[in-house]
Amino acid sequence: MATLELRGLTKVFGATMAVEAFDLDVGDGELVCLLGPSGSGKSTVLRMIGGFETASSGAVLIDGQDVTRMPPERRPTSMMFQSHALWSHMNVAGNIGFGLKLRRLPRAEIARKVEEALTLVGLAGMGERRTDQLSGGQQQRVALARSLVLEPKILLLDEPFASLDQHLRERLREEVRDLQQRLGITMVFVTHGQDEALALADRIVVMRDGRVQQVDRPDRLYRHPETPFVAGFIGQMNLLQVTVAGGRIAHPAFDLDVTATDGPALLAVRPEALELIAGEGAGRLHRVTDFGSHAVTEIDLPGGERIKAMTPEVPAAPPGTPVTIKPLRAHLYRDDRVIWSSDAMSRTSTRAHAHG
Amino acid sequence: MSISVAQDRGRGQTGLLLVLLPVALVATLIIWPIVRAVMDTLIVTGPDGASLSFASYRFFFTDAHSMGNLRITIWTTAVSVSILMAIAIPIAIYLRFVTGRTAAVVQALAIFPLFVPSIILAYAFIRVLGPNGMVDLILGSFGLPRIRSPYLTPWGPVIGFVWDNLPLSVVILMAGLSNVTNNAVEAARDVGAGKFAILFHIILPRIWLSILVATSFVVLGLFSAFTFPYLLGPAAPEMMGPFMLRTFGDVMDPVQARTQAVITFLICAVFGWFYVRSIAKNRARREAA
Ligand SMILES: Nc1ncnc2c1ncn2[C@@H]1O[C@H](COP(=O)(O)OP(=O)(O)OP(=O)(O)O)[C@@H](O)[C@H]1O
Ligand SMILES: [Mg+2]
Repeated sequence: MATLELRGLTKVFGATMAVEAFDLDVGDGELVCLLGPSGSGKSTVLRMIGGFETASSGAVLIDGQDVTRMPPERRPTSMMFQSHALWSHMNVAGNIGFGLKLRRLPRAEIARKVEEALTLVGLAGMGERRTDQLSGGQQQRVALARSLVLEPKILLLDEPFASLDQHLRERLREEVRDLQQRLGITMVFVTHGQDEALALADRIVVMRDGRVQQVDRPDRLYRHPETPFVAGFIGQMNLLQVTVAGGRIAHPAFDLDVTATDGPALLAVRPEALELIAGEGAGRLHRVTDFGSHAVTEIDLPGGERIKAMTPEVPAAPPGTPVTIKPLRAHLYRDDRVIWSSDAMSRTSTRAHAHG
Repeated sequence: MSISVAQDRGRGQTGLLLVLLPVALVATLIIWPIVRAVMDTLIVTGPDGASLSFASYRFFFTDAHSMGNLRITIWTTAVSVSILMAIAIPIAIYLRFVTGRTAAVVQALAIFPLFVPSIILAYAFIRVLGPNGMVDLILGSFGLPRIRSPYLTPWGPVIGFVWDNLPLSVVILMAGLSNVTNNAVEAARDVGAGKFAILFHIILPRIWLSILVATSFVVLGLFSAFTFPYLLGPAAPEMMGPFMLRTFGDVMDPVQARTQAVITFLICAVFGWFYVRSIAKNRARREAA
């Protein structure tokens, strides 16, 4: 279908740098999620792809063609908004067929395509309904059908299910994923829910303050966060301020051999990558929460930090018990970049060296 | 149980008392005078008692002068409303979709006449566009011919009305436009709608009710307007407002003045009925959801 390239895309609103030097390549039929906290510039990037915001600098290329200065009505993209975007003075069929009507297609063909699109999103036969006779989930399906009926090269979705409840959101997410794979359509999906991104995306772009933090596959993003922000943003992570001396981190609660130059650094350890030995050590068991499938133990460290450990079994120790912790896998960050990683050291450490 | 019933009844009575006051006011101040006026025009008290007569209406509808005045009133209303909407709709749309300093200035300018009494607007009009007014003086200083002032022509009141009613119309239309979300407009652009398609297929269908409300306000106001037609309009034919006053005061024919008032009222009532009906229809449609 189509490829999308973003080259140094930048957007400045007055004094706000909403998006800064954003680079991204989206392959044909790929689903890329933009993930980041509120205000990180996700919507702005999407709106620049759709043409609703003009880039302050940089370029948007679709199938190699520069569309940076093209208005939305002439771009081969289609955007699905969070909410309030259906035209309530038209019925469902009117909403879906409006774009076709503007293209002056014959009536019968419009009716046929509208019904096809309705079937695609599971609303067959609902064309005559008014939009306010639909549930929130149905309205978003209509919005999706309205986008799909024009067979866009690239579908853009800006938190399309944010206003729906958890259950419905998960179901529609699955449906969008199925449709995307069936139609082979290129998609950029904005979300600030990491579950959504991890469940949907071929690749995830993590954004913060208008900048790209990391672009990677969901599994790699979880296992190899390249910045402390990504480490803390995706899944749960214990972050500890440590000092490296002679290739070793000497923390009061544990020791860890690392390959890094001396100096202060930030150590990141996932709760499931911590081993606990109860009975002795500098940590103090604070609380155990049993989740059935696993248990989360909170431990107070001598420095005043509190960390979490996730274990398959519930530790049989009362609060206050001394514990030793042993990081099994960890990442070390300095100056906002990863400088050492316990596994996949080859990849990240060579990169870290290349960075200086 | 019994306590809550008593409370409910108390609340019901309070509610009744609350609506009683406005109902009584409307009845004594509006309904009753209308009934009185209609009766006065229909009942002639002769030497052998009161009898029903349509004479005053027959006079009005056969009198060329009266009919001329009615016609000029309708003409002025129609022309004023058309021009007003042609100006107010673009301004309201502009203000809805454009932000920034220029938009703020336009908004201030459009709303400003709301705070100026019509009589001052009328005199300002005379000073600017009247004979030897500012425009004349400026043209004259360049040696250009004078304008043919719209002052004292039927266009005088039209310009005054448009000016005077612009702020309220813009405000009403903007309230209607706030129903049109940015997303709705952007979604239309997204499927390929240009400016005109957005205007005709997305914006106008959403604000036609506001247009109707604004139009009704203006029409009802214009029909009984006095200041502008009196100060700016021609002496003959004249609009119903000054005509009624003159018939009552100068001609001293109160029955004919009341007849004119009843006819004016009926025309407004027809319009009002259209207005109420379309609002009710719209609401019923919405509530059927
Ligand atoms: N039209 C605008 N005018 C001025 N500033 C804007 C405008 N749109 C966005 N911004 C600013 O740009 C930054 C990025 O906004 P954006 O809407 O892209 O964030 P987001 O990642 O989509 O956030 P959210 O998750 O809350 O939707 C924010 O600081 C925001 O205040
Ligand atoms: Mg957003």
